[in-house]
Amino acid sequence: MANVLEQLLNALAAAGLLFLVSAGLSLVFGILRVVNFAHGVFYMLGAYVGFTTVALTGWFWPALIVVPPVVGALGALLETSTLRFIYRRPPIYQLLLTFGIALILEESIRVLYGPTAKGVELPALLRDAIDLGGVLYPSYRLFVVVLGGTVGVGVWLFLRRTRAGLVIRAVAQNSEMADCLGADVARVRTLVFGAACALAGLGGVAAAPMTTAYLGMGISVIVDAFVVVVIGGLGSIGGSMAGSLIVGAAQTWGAFYLPEAAMVIMYAVMGAILVFRPWGLFGEEE
Amino acid sequence: MKRRDFLKVSTVGAVGTSMLAVPRGTWAQGPIKIGMPAALSGSNAQYGIQAKRAAELFARDVKAKGILGRPVEFIYEDTAGDPATAVRKAQKLVEKDGVKFLTGVALSSEALAVSAKCPEWKVVFMSTINGAGSLTTKSFHRYFFRVNTSGPMGARAVSLYLAEAPMKRFFALGSDYAWGRDSVASFTSQITAAKKEVVGTDFSPVGTKDFASYIAKIRQSKAEGVYLVLAGQDATIYLRQAHQFGLSREVKPIMEILELENMKAVGDAMVGAIGSSRYPFTIDTPKNRDFVKRFHDLHGMYPDMFDGETYEGLEWLAQVIAKAGTDDVEKVIDAWEDSTYEGLEGSFLMRKCDHQAVQPGFAVECVKDAKYPHPVPKVLATYPGDKVTPKCRTEDFA
Repeated sequence: MANVLEQLLNALAAAGLLFLVSAGLSLVFGILRVVNFAHGVFYMLGAYVGFTTVALTGWFWPALIVVPPVVGALGALLETSTLRFIYRRPPIYQLLLTFGIALILEESIRVLYGPTAKGVELPALLRDAIDLGGVLYPSYRLFVVVLGGTVGVGVWLFLRRTRAGLVIRAVAQNSEMADCLGADVARVRTLVFGAACALAGLGGVAAAPMTTAYLGMGISVIVDAFVVVVIGGLGSIGGSMAGSLIVGAAQTWGAFYLPEAAMVIMYAVMGAILVFRPWGLFGEEE
Repeated sequence: MKRRDFLKVSTVGAVGTSMLAVPRGTWAQGPIKIGMPAALSGSNAQYGIQAKRAAELFARDVKAKGILGRPVEFIYEDTAGDPATAVRKAQKLVEKDGVKFLTGVALSSEALAVSAKCPEWKVVFMSTINGAGSLTTKSFHRYFFRVNTSGPMGARAVSLYLAEAPMKRFFALGSDYAWGRDSVASFTSQITAAKKEVVGTDFSPVGTKDFASYIAKIRQSKAEGVYLVLAGQDATIYLRQAHQFGLSREVKPIMEILELENMKAVGDAMVGAIGSSRYPFTIDTPKNRDFVKRFHDLHGMYPDMFDGETYEGLEWLAQVIAKAGTDDVEKVIDAWEDSTYEGLEGSFLMRKCDHQAVQPGFAVECVKDAKYPHPVPKVLATYPGDKVTPKCRTEDFA
């Protein structure tokens, strides 16, 4: 029983991090109609900016506050200076551009920080493992579960319950009609792209104490995030949550119960879901 | 990707050659060229960069005198850790730049591919990093030399140490490819021979980000020590997470390679881990102390395993070329066989039968030391070369 609880928490912690990355990827596709290959690099950037913040202040918590606006602002800047000009071009341009941005950012980080992984210390408050009825579990992972869940509910409420959320959904549904009705579509796109990058950055800084900040963390996370988004349905926040839970469970339980097949399980689940719902669990048929 | 490679390589090449350009005309003959097809980018870049750092220090040390009165020129090429690229870059170094000596190759997979071509090119391949046992056994040829401690030799040093240690039950976790699987198998057979028990084994894919499931299994196995065949990033992530789960207090981490790189990234959470080291920079000999100081002056950091191993290789190669009185490849090989060298970590002997350098093996522990800004390796036991070097052309130990 203790073991089951531990595995459940492991899956939830993995899902929490995955959600922070995949939510932004899904939003950007829903609203900008861009498949953003650079999204993982913003996750990595979050981890590195977090490392610098912790190094400068000596505290972990300021990093959680500082990183999202910094990474988000950089994302918004890149949207206005590059992506904006290719929305009407064929998708191959988006692929080349976002892939190029990913390479440039990754190599810039290598030049700035060097090839060695950067360790980020746990906040003092969450340094120890706590006893949950016979299971020794790291308190920081519990925090990641809570963080992922809170952000998920927050984003969902924002999109459903606020006027700004309404405008965003309108742009996602039909950007030309929203434009005619007076919505500033260009601005919505910039802000959504920035917010998506900020979420990825938050994911990166939250992951850093568990995985360190390292080169290549962006590439490895983006593959998982794509699987999440495909399972959940492109453009759906609820879908990202469901997808994160499914992928998180497939990865952690797979590695525990079926180690030989651990690599395959995630893709097998995705394949199975696509057979019945090609547009994903929460996606809409187009 | 082609264009990216091209840009990277041309930048690295241009910077490398401009930095190392020796004023011509002051020397009697052309330079002695050493080619380094090293992984300078990609996920294994740290190893190529270590080789390059060692070469930069060596180039500075011999700048005044050269070798045989000739300047030494290093030519770097970035392989990104890919065997096919490594062969292409090595071929360019040999055919276009005319190098007679190749070294600095980071991965065993690259080394196996490049080394296979060397008899045809008639150039020396000097391994200073590559661990795969097969390089000096079934893939051995006259043009290959291994200056560094091999993977089986490292596993041997750890096993000798554990045979004496009180721990009895072990779990083995390896990276899911040849190195991890071979080392776990070799560890299992040596531990079983020492009348101890391996209670479980598992293999994690390269690039695993979350070791929680493996940690749960290791805890359930009730092992006293966990033998880890993980490199670079995988090792860093495992050690941090095991510490966060409180596992490292219960189950001692035993690393196939205990790298400084990991100690810097993991920090205090790694203190107490034991393992083997190809070259622990804290060895207390006058020659090594001097090397560490010069290295720190140039690079602002302490040397990792392959900084030391590569420097030793280059110094030995220079000694052999001086002894041969020429950089003619066949004569250098003859001069190298059965020759000895006083390295940073002790005495080396280049065995004629398989070109494996016989050298001391080390069991080390990661400790805190107020003198250094990060944890450092402390030598627990030193084993003489004949105890940690396998029988010629085999992976069996006496």
